[in-house]
Amino acid sequence: MSVKAFKLVSAVEREMLMGDKNYINIECIECCGKNLYIGTNDCFIYHFLLDEKISTAGKITFAATKQLHKYLGLKKPVSELKAASALTRLLVLCDNTITLVNMMNLEPVPTGARIKGAVTFALNENPVSGDPFCVEVCIISVKRRTIQMFMVFEDRVQIVKEVFTPEQPCAVAVDGYYLCLALTTQYIILNYNTGASQDLFPYCSDEKRPIVKRIGRQEFLLAGPGGLGMFATVDGISQRAPVHWSENVIGAALCFPYVVALDDEFITVHSMLDQQQKQTLPFKEGHILQDFEGKVIVATNKGVYILVPLPLEKQIQDLLASHRVEEALVLAKGARRNIPKEKFQVMYKRILQQAGFIQFAQLQFLEAKELFRSGQLDVRELISLYPFLLPTSSSFIRSHPPLHEYADLNQLTQGDQEKMTKCKRFLMSYLNEVRSTEVANGYKEDIDTALLKLYAEANHESLLDLLVSENFCLLTDSAAWLEKHKKYFALGLLYHYNGQDAAALQLWVKIVDGDIQDSTRSDLYEYIVDFLTFCPDQDLVWKYSEWVLEKNEQVGIQIFTKRPLEEQEKTNFKPDDIVSCLNKYPKARVKYLEHLVLERKIEKEKYHTHLAVLYLEAILQLKSVTTDNCTETTELLFKLRSLLQKSDLYRIHFILDKIQGTDLHMESAILYGKLEEHEKALHILVHKLKDFHAAEEYCMWNSENRDVQYRRRLFHMLLSVYLNPGTSDCALVMAAVDLLNNHAAEFDAALVLEVVPDSWSVQLLSPFLAGAVRQSIHTKRMTQTALGLAQAENLIYRHEKVKQKGTPILLSDKKVCQVCQNPFCEPVFVRYPNGGVVHTHCAANRHLNSNTTHHSSSSSNKT
Amino acid sequence: MIRAGGREGGSRPAAGRAGPSRAAMKKPDGKVVLLGDMNVGKTSLLHRYMERRFQETVSTVGGAFYLKQWGPYNISIWDTAGREQFHGLGSMYCRGAAAVILTYDVNSLQSLTELEERFLALTDSASADCIFAIVGNKSVASCSSKVRKQVRAEDKMCFETSAKTGYKVDYLFETVFEMVVPIIVRQKAEGPPQTVDITDYKPAKRTKSGCCA
Ligand SMILES: Nc1nc2c(ncn2[C@@H]2O[C@H](COP(=O)(O)OP(=O)(O)OP(=O)(O)O)[C@@H](O)[C@H]2O)c(=O)[nH]1
Ligand SMILES: [Mg+2]
Repeated sequence: MSVKAFKLVSAVEREMLMGDKNYINIECIECCGKNLYIGTNDCFIYHFLLDEKISTAGKITFAATKQLHKYLGLKKPVSELKAASALTRLLVLCDNTITLVNMMNLEPVPTGARIKGAVTFALNENPVSGDPFCVEVCIISVKRRTIQMFMVFEDRVQIVKEVFTPEQPCAVAVDGYYLCLALTTQYIILNYNTGASQDLFPYCSDEKRPIVKRIGRQEFLLAGPGGLGMFATVDGISQRAPVHWSENVIGAALCFPYVVALDDEFITVHSMLDQQQKQTLPFKEGHILQDFEGKVIVATNKGVYILVPLPLEKQIQDLLASHRVEEALVLAKGARRNIPKEKFQVMYKRILQQAGFIQFAQLQFLEAKELFRSGQLDVRELISLYPFLLPTSSSFIRSHPPLHEYADLNQLTQGDQEKMTKCKRFLMSYLNEVRSTEVANGYKEDIDTALLKLYAEANHESLLDLLVSENFCLLTDSAAWLEKHKKYFALGLLYHYNGQDAAALQLWVKIVDGDIQDSTRSDLYEYIVDFLTFCPDQDLVWKYSEWVLEKNEQVGIQIFTKRPLEEQEKTNFKPDDIVSCLNKYPKARVKYLEHLVLERKIEKEKYHTHLAVLYLEAILQLKSVTTDNCTETTELLFKLRSLLQKSDLYRIHFILDKIQGTDLHMESAILYGKLEEHEKALHILVHKLKDFHAAEEYCMWNSENRDVQYRRRLFHMLLSVYLNPGTSDCALVMAAVDLLNNHAAEFDAALVLEVVPDSWSVQLLSPFLAGAVRQSIHTKRMTQTALGLAQAENLIYRHEKVKQKGTPILLSDKKVCQVCQNPFCEPVFVRYPNGGVVHTHCAANRHLNSNTTHHSSSSSNKT
Repeated sequence: MIRAGGREGGSRPAAGRAGPSRAAMKKPDGKVVLLGDMNVGKTSLLHRYMERRFQETVSTVGGAFYLKQWGPYNISIWDTAGREQFHGLGSMYCRGAAAVILTYDVNSLQSLTELEERFLALTDSASADCIFAIVGNKSVASCSSKVRKQVRAEDKMCFETSAKTGYKVDYLFETVFEMVVPIIVRQKAEGPPQTVDITDYKPAKRTKSGCCA
């Protein structure tokens, strides 16, 4: 398939030119503005005015009105015509002579200025002289291998240069100082100023007509071997790939971005952008093809036609309509320099978007995405293809004219589910990519809502991520959609995001209770607990606290215990309220009290007592059902003991009362200990529990942070319990011996010796005795050392004192104060450590002044 | 559709190739030219490298080029026509080239001989410090042909590739580009060498013809 780039329109009909005189042929043409000149084989020049007419349907026609015709008076054909509009001169080549005629009346200039001996000529469209009233003309001379350069003025000509070529030239084009020449066997570039030449490529001009055409600054188009249109710069380089026209090309013209070529049968149109042939127009007997200021004119011997380019936009749209995206884009990009920037950008963006939709419809998503991105597509155009994705409230209307031909995705995919899924997957990734870019500005709601719908429908895990991060999903639309797709958990998140925590919780609770089905989270209960824990709405927390605790006391209590601390302190979650609310949930209550007492370390008697009582009750309860200690009991006992030991706040007597009569001896011992009733406590430990180790431990922890005396008192107490004369239990005696031997340092040896039975052997107590002796010696030596050290210290101070007193200071009335330079009239003075002596009042002044200065060495010695 | 010069079998347009890269509109910084007899696989090699595919081609008419962004540089890679008919164009394509990839077919000794006899002379117009790479294409990595043995071991710039399988194709072009970059840098520093070229190029011709005229 091809592009319609040009339309062939007739300009000058045969009748207008020659009527029925069949022998008359068109030899050459020239067009300058509206002026069309035709030279004939019978030595006439015709002048027409060309008027372009655009019909209402946009059809372009040309009407040529004949102005003049002029016979040049020679029997030779007019072989070339070139207009020099700045001089209002027409250069006419006839019979190897170039004459200057007036463009308007076709009269020769009165001076008769002419260039003789020209085979052919070319104007320099990139002149070097800089004189606006001068055209530079290059001729191929009738002299062999000779080129001549002329300056042509209004009524005179002047030769500038003559250069010789290695072979006979047969065609020429000029740009600045560069001549592009077709020689007999090759093309060359010749700098007529320096004489330097550069071969281009071989070409046999005898066999095939060469073409040398300047197509722009420093670039030429040449007929090459094998039907190629070759591009060459004045540097002898080809910067564009050649176009491929036909072997017997007659003429070539340029109308960006196309090269138009003429052969015996066709006019062919080739793109310079991608080298492809774009259009072929049948055209018989053509023999001239030239472009004049963008106007492409083609002529047969008998008539003149114009190739009217179709607007680029139309061409591009045609290409897009036949889904030739790449060509359309190449053409559009190529058109950049021919269209005003603003207009181009609008057009180009639109083309990119259209191209994007074409690629999209072919499921070429990567390409489509890139085109949408570079075309800055309003994403809603894309979203709107997908039924029901745009929120009902969206104000979006598709652009007009439409960017594509599809009503919706169903039409585009023709119901193919697989394609549909692919399209949806693409949109998901695309929206996800653009939602945080500037592309989304202004319609974030539409994008996020669409994305949510896609995710929900596809059961995509990103649905939750979307809802828990910043998003602009519209509530009503999204809620209805989520409900439809039974995404209740997500719906809850949506409510939460929109500040409707109550609604969210209501939904989630229903899911947990099995009233509605949504398996998104298997740990939804824990999720709710967590949610409530951080829920700032106290009423909600209270409202669902029962439900939560009902489900699981241990976990549920977290809604109170795991709340952020500062919030707990600030708000109305009063521990008292919570505790009373927890009456129904004993396990939760214990947990909460533990939280208050152990974690938050709230120093309130009632919580401590309460917790102790709860432990106690639980233990007694357990003991009443089973006899052997299960792990739960052990654990509780451990907790109770630890509480009783560590806390000083609970009501000791109250607990003691409760413990009385139970077998919780250890605990009552601890309680007695708290009451400083150590004898009772130790009695229990030793006699009831017979746990000597515990007894020793008791002495240790009860004397923690107390002085040595206190500890000794306890250990002596324990010893006397062991040695209670009422008992003669062998075990107790052994315990006493062990106690002494192991804790020799905790005893006053003299006292011990008084109480131990005389019957004990020294050997039995030898470790104790050795320890005691060692201890006593150690104490003695330590004391001596301390004494020695104290004496030494005392000596140092005395030395200091003597040093301070130092040498006597003599004060006489001849001495002057170092500050005021006056003599001393009183015996009081101040002496600085450096020996300076001053008045007391001077010192006081100075002291005041220097308080703020660096002279702070004002520690004065008064004598 | 009638196919145009330089383009063949479905291959996409190269010059000013459509697509997002603005590079396509920029002027190339350096030129690499593929030379070699017809049918040795120049077009296939380039196509494999640029489009990552191998497909049937038709004999190249004239020439075509691709633009390749290599680091900060735009390198144009010219695919020339191996057919005798277009031989005359080679010299123009090579003008100012920073690298010439001389390609032969490992299964054809003739195509290797041609390189020396016909193509080497075309490279006179290339940049003075032009890089040359010799590439034996259509290699079947396992079989060893006679031709290969002759070229073997000459130096590092000899390659054996297969456009069909893609064997060493990237390696070839990337090695060449790596070596071309310093030349581009130098050319840039010196300014466009071509403009200098022409002024001191064959000044003798004029004088000669001047005498005879
Ligand atoms: N087996 C094989 N065939 C190849 C390889 N490379 C190219 N060909 C084939 O060789 C033939 C010629 O390939 P082209 O790439 O058109 O050759 P060319 O050098 O561009 O030829 P001209 O354009 O005429 O100069 C085609 O049929 C390719 O399929 C290759 O590596 N292995
Ligand atoms: Mg090829």
